[in-house]
Amino acid sequence: RYVRQLQRLQLLFSPTAADARGAREFVEEAAQDFARQHPDVVLYVSPHSGPGPAPMLRAEYLNGTVRDELIASKTSEEILQLATKLANQSGLDIIRIRKPFHTDNPSVQGQWHPLTNKPSILTVQGPRLQPQ
Amino acid sequence: MVVLSAARWVRSRLSDRFWRVQEVLKYARHFRGRKNRCYALAVRSVRRAFVRSTKARREKKRFLRALWITRIEAASLEHGLKYPAFVSNLLKSQVELNRKVLADLAIYEPKTFKSLAALAQRRRQEGFLAALGDGKEPEGIFSRIVHHH
Repeated sequence: RYVRQLQRLQLLFSPTAADARGAREFVEEAAQDFARQHPDVVLYVSPHSGPGPAPMLRAEYLNGTVRDELIASKTSEEILQLATKLANQSGLDIIRIRKPFHTDNPSVQGQWHPLTNKPSILTVQGPRLQPQ
Repeated sequence: MVVLSAARWVRSRLSDRFWRVQEVLKYARHFRGRKNRCYALAVRSVRRAFVRSTKARREKKRFLRALWITRIEAASLEHGLKYPAFVSNLLKSQVELNRKVLADLAIYEPKTFKSLAALAQRRRQEGFLAALGDGKEPEGIFSRIVHHH
C-alpha cells in the first residue's frame, strides 16, 4: 500500500509583508482543500507578526529530510503546485543516482578470488600429507 | 510608471555578484591551483570541464566495453579458452549474453561462468568434428540448436 512520505508542511509567513501576499491568499482559499485532499499530511500555518524572514514552505519527510522552499512573490496557484509537488516526493536527496540498480547480496555462488579456479590442494589444510 | 523605472534601471548596480560567482566556483572547488579560487581562471576551466564531460560520455561506452572484454578474456583463459573462441561459440549455441553480463557472471558467479566455458568448449569441439570428421559420427548435440530469427 502507498504510504505518503511527506509528514508535515509548515507554512511560515508574515501577515503584513508584501511578498507574502500569495501565501496569505493560499491560506485563505486553497489551504483547506489541500489539507482535505491530502489527509495524511499535517499542515501547520504559523504566521509570525512583524518583519521577519522571508515566507517559506517547510516540508518534513518520514526519513528526516527537511526541505525549505521560498514562496516570496508567488501566486496562490504556484504555491498550490509547489505543495502538491512536495507531497508527491519522497525525502531522498535529489542528486545524481550513480547506478539504477543496487543489491545487498551481489554474489550467490561466492565472489571470485584468485584461488577459486585453482586445484583445492593449494587451499585445503589437512593432516600433513605423507610422502608417497 | 515605466518611464521613471527605466532611468533607474539604467543607473542600477549589480547586487548579487557574489552568488553569480559562487554558481561557477562551486563546480571548480575540487580543481588544482588557482583555478579553484579565482573566478576568471575558474570560468575557463569549468567550461572546459563540462565540454570534456559531454564528450567523454561517448568514450565511456567504449572504455567499459574494453574493460568487460579484458575481464571475460581473463576468466575464460582460466578455464582454458581464448576470448574469440568463447564468445563465438556461445553465440553459435544461441546463448546471447552481452559482455556486461558475462563480466558480472565471471566475477560474482564463477561456477556459472565455468559451465558457460564448458558449453563453449563443447560446441567448439563439435564444430571441429563437423568440419573435419565428415560423415560417420552423428552431429553434435549443441550444434543442432534451431535458430529462430
